[in-house]
Amino acid sequence: MANQKFATTHMKFQGWITLLARLVLGGVLIAAGALKAGNPAHAAMAVRAYQVLPVTLANILGYALPWAEMGVGLALVIGVAVKGSAIIGGGLMLLFILAISQAWARGLSIDCGCFGGGGAVAPGHTAYVQEILRDTGLTALAVYLFRYPHGKFGLDK
Amino acid sequence: MATDKKKSQQPAQKGMRGLVIGMIVFVVAVGAAFAVISNQSIKSLKLPSSVSKADGYGIVFNPTGSPKIDIWEDFQCPICDRFEGINGNYINQVVQAGHAKVVFHTMSFIGPESILAANAGACAANSGKFIQFHAAMYNNQPTTENSGKITNPWLTLIGAAAGISDPKFSSCVNNGDFINWTKNIEADAAAKNVNATPTVFVNGKELDRNTQYMDPVAFKKALTDAGVK
Repeated sequence: MANQKFATTHMKFQGWITLLARLVLGGVLIAAGALKAGNPAHAAMAVRAYQVLPVTLANILGYALPWAEMGVGLALVIGVAVKGSAIIGGGLMLLFILAISQAWARGLSIDCGCFGGGGAVAPGHTAYVQEILRDTGLTALAVYLFRYPHGKFGLDK
Repeated sequence: MATDKKKSQQPAQKGMRGLVIGMIVFVVAVGAAFAVISNQSIKSLKLPSSVSKADGYGIVFNPTGSPKIDIWEDFQCPICDRFEGINGNYINQVVQAGHAKVVFHTMSFIGPESILAANAGACAANSGKFIQFHAAMYNNQPTTENSGKITNPWLTLIGAAAGISDPKFSSCVNNGDFINWTKNIEADAAAKNVNATPTVFVNGKELDRNTQYMDPVAFKKALTDAGVK
């Protein structure tokens, strides 16, 4: 009974929640991409510092990733290909969580470089918990958008 | 009425949707490709004297000396300023006495003002005063990065404070003679997996960031152990 009431209330606002989720996830992706795209050398350094990929590959990812983030973010804000963008956006967040976790587990001291910056930092100057919590919240938004891609003011119909 | 309107909009909206997706994909592809290409090393460009391509385009002192010490830094990096305060005098002594081959890689990943500063450093090297300029730069390092303080006129003043009287220095700074060269320094550091500044390699091996950078005794020992007299 309570469940049904919740479901009804949710459906009443679902279009607006989808819009909000699109704007938050999309806005964060655009900001993250734009801040990094302006300084590709630092973005590449940030990716290298995770010490997962071979250096050449890490550099290419560092140069290219900010543009992908901006593209996905833009699609979400405009409201086109929301389902696909949610899959890519959520996938990126899961990758980021994995990358940050492995750095933490291996005892590396790095800045995630999520919004520009990045690279090795002094031990004790890491912020792994906050970074992972933030990306987990954004993953939840992506999951919601995957389930409910249609909302207010979107081009998708 | 409302449903009619929706129906008549559908094909147009579908075309619009495809167009928007296409544009986004296009911008992402072009931007990403441009970013990858424009951050590669430039093949032919104007190099400062005492720069060696074989040494990652760094500014080289005592090219035949041994051991080899590589220092990656950014003139705007506050930890580099601390490092300079702790080990700068010793490094300068080693350079001047010719007790090692020392290569300075002035990176510029902190931002546009680092590019201007690195260019000016190369100009100073061309005027034979890199070490003096280097010291003056850190003595006057602005407290915030990219705050608008580091400009070409400001860098010219730093050069004057470092004792550079060569008239070519200010034109070199103002014309940005070695702006392109700063890209090659970055590309080489990227290829060598340098992920922080300062980074010091002795004979190609990185010092231990936790113990050997900020302790002058440990730093000196690392160098003397490698053969610095």
